[in-house]
Amino acid sequence: MIGAYRALFVAGFQNASQYRVQLFLYVFFSVLRPIIFLAAWVAVAQARGGSVGTFGVADFAAYYIALTIVLHLALAWDAYEFEFLVRQGRLSPLLLRPLHPIHYAVVNNIVWKLFTIAALVPVLALTAITFGARFQGEPWHYALFVPSLVLGAAIRFLFGWIVATAAFWITRVSSVSTFFDRIQFIFSGQIAPLALLPGALQVIAYAMPFAYMFGVPVDILRGATTFEQTLLLLAGQGFWLAVCYLALQVAWSRGLRQYSGVGA
Amino acid sequence: MRYLRLLALFVRTELQFELAYRVNFLAELLSLVIIVVTSVAAVLILFAYTQTMNGWSFPAMLVLLGVFYIVQGVGELAFTPSFQQFMEQVRLGTLDFVLLKPASSQFLVSLRYFKLSNVAQVALGVIVTALGLARLGDELTLIALGEFAVALFCGLVLVYVLLLSLSTLAFWFVRVENLLAVYEAFLDAGRFPVDIYPGWLRLTMSTVIPIGIAITVPAQAVAGRLEALGLGLMVVVTIAAWAFARWFWRVGLRSYTGASA
Amino acid sequence: MGEPVVEVADLMKTFRVSEREEGLGATVRSVFRRRYRDVQAVAGISFGIEPGEVVGFLGPNGAGKTTTLKMLSGLLFPTSGRATVLGHVPWRREDRFLSRIALLMGNRTQLVWDIPAADSLRVLQEIYRIGETDYRRARDELVDLLDLGPLLNKPVRNLSLGERMKVEFAAGLIHSPQVAFLDEPTIGLDVSMQARIRRFVAEYNRRTGATVLLTSHYMDDVVALCRRVLVIHHGKLLYDGALAGLAERMTPYKLIVATLHDGAAHEDLGAYGAIVAREEGRVTLRVPRENVAERTARLVGDLGDRLADLSVEDPPIEEAVDRIFSGELPVATA
Repeated sequence: MIGAYRALFVAGFQNASQYRVQLFLYVFFSVLRPIIFLAAWVAVAQARGGSVGTFGVADFAAYYIALTIVLHLALAWDAYEFEFLVRQGRLSPLLLRPLHPIHYAVVNNIVWKLFTIAALVPVLALTAITFGARFQGEPWHYALFVPSLVLGAAIRFLFGWIVATAAFWITRVSSVSTFFDRIQFIFSGQIAPLALLPGALQVIAYAMPFAYMFGVPVDILRGATTFEQTLLLLAGQGFWLAVCYLALQVAWSRGLRQYSGVGA
Repeated sequence: MRYLRLLALFVRTELQFELAYRVNFLAELLSLVIIVVTSVAAVLILFAYTQTMNGWSFPAMLVLLGVFYIVQGVGELAFTPSFQQFMEQVRLGTLDFVLLKPASSQFLVSLRYFKLSNVAQVALGVIVTALGLARLGDELTLIALGEFAVALFCGLVLVYVLLLSLSTLAFWFVRVENLLAVYEAFLDAGRFPVDIYPGWLRLTMSTVIPIGIAITVPAQAVAGRLEALGLGLMVVVTIAAWAFARWFWRVGLRSYTGASA
Repeated sequence: MGEPVVEVADLMKTFRVSEREEGLGATVRSVFRRRYRDVQAVAGISFGIEPGEVVGFLGPNGAGKTTTLKMLSGLLFPTSGRATVLGHVPWRREDRFLSRIALLMGNRTQLVWDIPAADSLRVLQEIYRIGETDYRRARDELVDLLDLGPLLNKPVRNLSLGERMKVEFAAGLIHSPQVAFLDEPTIGLDVSMQARIRRFVAEYNRRTGATVLLTSHYMDDVVALCRRVLVIHHGKLLYDGALAGLAERMTPYKLIVATLHDGAAHEDLGAYGAIVAREEGRVTLRVPRENVAERTARLVGDLGDRLADLSVEDPPIEEAVDRIFSGELPVATA
């Protein structure tokens, strides 16, 4: 297993290095996305005389910088690729190999993220200076951010695979995937910090897995949670990871049965 | 005239193709509706905390969002499918067939493929714009509508020019699909008025990557915030950008065929 | 007419390519710095082609065949040298020039995958500004020659490889070009389909008088179609002349066929040359070209009356072409 992972990593890095300029550009510019909403919230704050709730301009800046880092490290895009694999009939050869296809995805995700993280630095630094970002975390915030980030990434990764398994039953997964992406867009803390979601939306957000993918690690990283809250949120992440893991087990085995039943 | 006939022919072949995949069409329509609804929701959340954003009221912001979807829709309907194919053709070497044809290569490359399901996105954009205008309550003058049309046309030309210039880079770098991601990232920033962004981003979006003005100026025209000077400037910039893109395309073509060597 | 359709003088093309090594370390290094090297794809070639000729363009992979075809069809600018095709300088890419030539590439398709070829042909009609009567005549002729039948109305993705190639020919020749450059037109096709395409090219050339310059890896294509061949290797022209003379020029040996009255099955003639074949009373020997006279004289002298017949032949053309494709060529002297 370790040998397989090593070989996959080497191949992954070689593949990625071929596209180095494009990857850099891609990440460099994808950083824009969180800044869009940062700018919008800053405009709202200024219209209100400098703050929205507990958020000042510097807090919004810290929030969206943290979000950019978390999104970069925790986002996964497997559903779209999986649909492609199934439709092109390229999944079958992968299934013949003595290694679960999910491992290729794990490696690809990690390679991509490590290869491109440097591209984040210039835009984030520029943003931090432009808006005077304020991080207020204690050392334990940063220590607990690491497991929180890993848990968030794992939830997002498994969730993406659950959606992807829909490809076994229907050919157009990308619409399903888009649907969940947009739900996630609202409830994971991308449009607004979770604390600023109006009334009921906030309650719904914490009752769904999306907040635990990105919003929770972001709040921990910028030091906006108390120690007790942090532990509670980490427990919530653990709960959703377990749920997603079990759901994927069921979806995958049923899906495979469906897939081989059709004889693709 | 000949190019118009060709264009009609291209659209007809695309229509045949899309009719063969009706389920896809419905699925994409559904995705588009979801995307537009959630975007409106995002604006609603922001305006739960304020009456105006940098002078933009909620209805004016809806108009802007509508224009954003019109521009994005036209881009995905008429521009990006061809440019994606173009990059694929460079990679596979089948671009040679296009260059062998006795017709403008820029035309054959950039207006060859269409994704007609995005007509729906344009339609949704029109609906959102109309909703915003209705809530704005101002009387819409004929002059404002004329300015809107001119600004929107210029905006679409600017988007075409930007995509053409980005694609032209494919002549030097074989794999540039991700350059379209540059376009998408900046386009996404067009959902808010360009004046809310920090200076460096505002500058980029008004010059090198003129997505900001392509969307904001038409919205200003009907939301009553446009000065005549702004529109005149946009027309001039559009003509200059068009000339630049044509020149750049020819340079790229010459390099591809080794003419500069 | 009578003037050459294609004229090439000292044509040369140099490419700059990046070098890559294997392994993770090299990959990481190449992220920061790439090394380049100049490759001379075509190193100064000259030839002319008369109207209506079918000329074979032979050489191993990477010899410069495709590069030359691309320069002649206006897709590539040469580094230096001159060329005219139908009186035009190809790389000026004038519409009038492009309307009169065709370049078909066996491994690439210009057809749109999801729609029937008939629709692609209509688009081509519009692009090439072909009048309706000319269009119908050209299309019907191609349908007839290629035996296309209903193929034009099926989506391209539903066609077999061979069918697709036939349709590809129809699309490439719908504008009735006067010069057709065919780059590996039969690659990947099965034997009967190759023969079909070959017959088509010969017939098309006969009916329309179009000039054809063709590259192929299949010796049968060349033998069946081309009376004249150009051989290119390392970007240099090694041979320009009749297919029949190719063997003499490309192989460094000849065959001596000796027939003996008393049967030579038991006779060991290995001392005179390598034995290639041995039948009833007949032995074929392979002898280096420069030794032919001496070995013949020795054979006649040693065998005397027992010799019924003796002849000297060139090796079969197939062998010569084989050597060309595998790159085992004599050093350039042309």
